[in-house]
Amino acid sequence: MNRSIRAEPAAVRLSGVVKRFGQGAPAVDRVDLQIAPGELVTLLGPSGCGKTTTLRMIAGLEDPTAGSIVIGDEDVTHLPAEKRDVTMVFQSYALFPHMNVRANVGYGLRVARRPRAEIADRVAEALDLVGLGDYADRSVDALSGGQQQRVALARALVMKPRVILFDEPLSNLDAKLRQHVRGEIRALQQRLGLTAVYVTHDQEEALAISDRVVVMNAGRIEQQGSPRELYARPATHFVADFIGSANSVPGHYDGQAIHLGNARIAHAQEIAPGPVSVIIRPEAVRIADDGLAARVVSVAFLGPVIQVTFATAVGAITANLPDDSREDLREGADVALAFGPRGVHLLAPVAS
Amino acid sequence: MTDLSFRGTGAMRLAGFTSPVVGWTLFAVACYLALPLARTGRAFLPLDYGLHPVVLGPALHWLVVVAAVAVTLVYGRPASSGPQVRRRADRALLAILVGVAGLGISLFAEAAPFGFGALGAFLGLAIAAGAALSEGNRVRGDAFTGAGIVLCLTFVTLFITYPLLMVLRSAVWVDGTLTLAQFAKTFSSPLFLFVSNRFTDVDEARQVALWAAAGTAAGTAFGLWQTRTTALPRRLVLVALWLVGGAIGGWAVGIMLWGRGALPSTLLVAVIVAPSATLLGFALALLGQRTNSRVVRGCLGVASVLPFITPPFVIGFSMIFLLGRRGLITYDILGISPFANPLYGIVGVSLSQILGLAPVAYLIMRGSLNSLNPALEEAATTLGASRWRVFRDVTWPLVRPGIAASLLLASIESISDFGTPLVLGGDRNFLATEVFLALTGRYSQSEASVYGVVLLLLVLLVFLASRWMLGVRGFATVTGKPASGAFLPLPRGLEWGLLALAGLWLAFILSLYGVIFYGSVVELWGINNTLTLRHYVEFRNTAWPVVWYTIQLSVASAIPAMMLGGLIAYLVTRHRFWGRSYLEMGSLLSFATPGTVMGLAYILAFNDGTLLMTSTSAIIVLALVFRNMPVAIRASMSGLAQIDRSLEEASATLKAGSGTTMVRVLAPLLIYPLLAGLIFAFVSAMTAVSQIIFLVSAGRNVATVLLLSRVERGDLGVAAAMASVLIVLLLALIVVLLIASRYLDARNRGKGLSI
Ligand SMILES: Nc1ncnc2c1ncn2[C@@H]1O[C@H](COP(=O)(O)OP(=O)(O)OP(=O)(O)O)[C@@H](O)[C@H]1O
Ligand SMILES: [Mg+2]
Repeated sequence: MNRSIRAEPAAVRLSGVVKRFGQGAPAVDRVDLQIAPGELVTLLGPSGCGKTTTLRMIAGLEDPTAGSIVIGDEDVTHLPAEKRDVTMVFQSYALFPHMNVRANVGYGLRVARRPRAEIADRVAEALDLVGLGDYADRSVDALSGGQQQRVALARALVMKPRVILFDEPLSNLDAKLRQHVRGEIRALQQRLGLTAVYVTHDQEEALAISDRVVVMNAGRIEQQGSPRELYARPATHFVADFIGSANSVPGHYDGQAIHLGNARIAHAQEIAPGPVSVIIRPEAVRIADDGLAARVVSVAFLGPVIQVTFATAVGAITANLPDDSREDLREGADVALAFGPRGVHLLAPVAS
Repeated sequence: MTDLSFRGTGAMRLAGFTSPVVGWTLFAVACYLALPLARTGRAFLPLDYGLHPVVLGPALHWLVVVAAVAVTLVYGRPASSGPQVRRRADRALLAILVGVAGLGISLFAEAAPFGFGALGAFLGLAIAAGAALSEGNRVRGDAFTGAGIVLCLTFVTLFITYPLLMVLRSAVWVDGTLTLAQFAKTFSSPLFLFVSNRFTDVDEARQVALWAAAGTAAGTAFGLWQTRTTALPRRLVLVALWLVGGAIGGWAVGIMLWGRGALPSTLLVAVIVAPSATLLGFALALLGQRTNSRVVRGCLGVASVLPFITPPFVIGFSMIFLLGRRGLITYDILGISPFANPLYGIVGVSLSQILGLAPVAYLIMRGSLNSLNPALEEAATTLGASRWRVFRDVTWPLVRPGIAASLLLASIESISDFGTPLVLGGDRNFLATEVFLALTGRYSQSEASVYGVVLLLLVLLVFLASRWMLGVRGFATVTGKPASGAFLPLPRGLEWGLLALAGLWLAFILSLYGVIFYGSVVELWGINNTLTLRHYVEFRNTAWPVVWYTIQLSVASAIPAMMLGGLIAYLVTRHRFWGRSYLEMGSLLSFATPGTVMGLAYILAFNDGTLLMTSTSAIIVLALVFRNMPVAIRASMSGLAQIDRSLEEASATLKAGSGTTMVRVLAPLLIYPLLAGLIFAFVSAMTAVSQIIFLVSAGRNVATVLLLSRVERGDLGVAAAMASVLIVLLLALIVVLLIASRYLDARNRGKGLSI
């Protein structure tokens, strides 16, 4: 099916990239990032952390203040956008309102002066790929948000880019559609073997579609790794908090076990023995006969699970428990907590 | 029991009497009884009680009293159910209409100029009628809305539609007969159109015929090509239309090139000015939006305000200093002989209008460019398009509506311009000036009216043409969330080119203004360059009272213009009622009608009979109010469009009437648009010429007209002093207001004042 749209994916390397707008803290601060051919990397982080700016520097829409950007084996640091083999799906889609769907998708090929027949073929194929084959002659403002989004996708795909960039491509869609489209994007990316950089501030979206997630904060990379890695072994409190939710309580590690209040939890991790900060995922908490003494503070029903907040000697701990109706889980009840081996992780203690 | 029921009906009665219908009817009758019905002469004061209705004896106008009694009686009866309330209101409305008819018929039969009594009575009855309309559920909305609708419809009819109809009437109604003779006479006059010049070797008529033939052929060919997919009978009609259009177009080009007279001159200037001003404005807007230099942006901003505070012909006047027969550049530097000076005529008028209109185009194009989504351009570059390509494929097509709007405005302004041709026209004559010359020089009302009708038709034609241009395709921007991102910088070469253009333009503007100031402080420009304050002294002695009077008139006209504009905008955007599109059309008409035509219309409409108002300050104020009201409407409309209706609905659910809602909720939110409208109305009143040149009278002269007469008389020194004072005054006003709005902004972070 996809004869012609088969990109030759390229590796992307950012070394020491800095972007400064005027005075003050840089928007992007010494970012080093390597992306392998055919890999989908997500830039994840809170609003204003520099994700879009990083992406725009890869696209050539923003000139880095320092550092270098290499695509394939060409240094493109100061190459203007129109000379790079990179296309982008914009958050606002940026469809040309005075062109119909076909003209929008074919625009880049026309600019590149491809023969008419080739343009027609490739546009038709790209539209088929995103499932809009019947909409070629529609005006773009006569499309729904999801359809517009796919036109934008087709317009970027049809160029057979060596790198394709997405800037929060789903943020204008409603929640249900978002889940569906992100699956489609991922499938297409894998089928066509595209190198893709994907910006989002939705951690669930990032975990669901990425080969690798790069967590950014205040212009810097906090941590990067596979979704599993980031979830199981966050390097900082910021990452632990940003990816999923986490309890963070003070404890003491002796090389074999964690001492948490009156409880002792066997745990093996390469970290200096002594005071530590214990990261506990809510789903790792269990009610046990023996363990950390806790008192139920509040119970909330969330559907598949119940969320229970406990007060303990080391601080508040929130747990997601299966709703198997332990009648005694009422406010004020005294219980003991145990912690599953997965979902407990140690970090250096927060300096107080 | 009885006591209770009595109290009950009493309460009912009271409820009936508190209706605004009763209150305003009583106000009407009070005015009618307390004040004289008519005036003896033009003057509104002193009151002449010899013309009191009682002294005048029994007549139809006594029906006002009858109406008031009837309304009181009708409302004296209790009404408890909806249908009863409605019937009561309808009956009152009938009584009010009878009163209005009686008063009107007797006044017009007597042809006596109206007095304060009649004015108050009409006003009161109109408001009462509006209230009755709303109580009778004939309009949706409360008494305030009803009264507002009735008043606005009355005003627009009386001060826009009726005067314009009088122009039409005077053009076809000559010496008591309906005739097109005046049209025939005017159209065959060489002043209007003059083609065959016996003193040249060229056969002009033949050239024009050739152009017309070429136009016909081109129109037909294009029509055939354009309708190639249309079915036959319809295609025939369309092709015929193209044929006629091509013929007219070709002929117009022909007369512009080979003919003389008011029509070809006006057309030629408009055809030169509109595209040039638009292009210049677009170029400057592009530079203003995309340059990194703050200085350039600041200069463009300031320079774009200047024309608004400059009387329209002052640029022409200072061009005489610079480029005239003894001008600094043409005579002193380039050494062009005074007899070979090309300024007077098409060149000068066009150049002056381009300079005056480029800033208007700049503002329109700036708005158009700012509404672009920068991500569109970025998307095009990521798809491989070069800067030029992006401009051609994305930017240009998307600003075309702005271009059309700017072309429309510039051609209307050019066609309507009166002062510039008067100052720089030379041996060319123009339609707008012919209206004036026909009336004040040749004393022919009907000839002036014919020119007026032609001007109106031209403006209408331009309107239709721009509609057609815009109608080709309007783009709603397709975006979810507005994207961040910056506009692409201009291609290097283009930026330098534009910078050079802007620099030249700025330098020219600056020297134009500088030269006026210089002319005001030297003895005699070009001949005796000793510095002197003589002109300012003379200005203070002779012209200052006129300027002061002008300021008073402008204030007196700006406030009602703003209030009326705000009211109409509110009614039109927030209510549906009979006559709504008439209101919109009327205000559009008053905006588009050339000033001289409006002035002529006011002379024709208010020169005798009941509505006699010429040679009073009132008529100048009225002319200015209705001239400047449309801008206030525009400003308020765009402001209203940004205010969510739920605010008003919230206010309404709290049982606030729409009057209260408007004053307490909308007005504070609209303060900036309203203020902008007010300033614009004031400034344009200060700089208006064409619409009031007919309306000034001895002792009631306004600054611009005085200035124009000084320029024409060759009193350049005093004229320059006057112009300098006016410009500095208005500039100071704007600067003060800008600072004040900054200060207010800082205090309650509203929207910036945009002029
Ligand atoms: N053109 C610009 N001029 C000045 N500052 C800018 C510009 N673009 C971005 N910034 C600043 O750089 C920082 C990073 O912006 P960026 O758009 O990359 O954030 P982001 O991570 O994409 O945030 P979001 O999730 O809200 O889109 C912000 O503080 C922003 O204010
Ligand atoms: Mg962003």
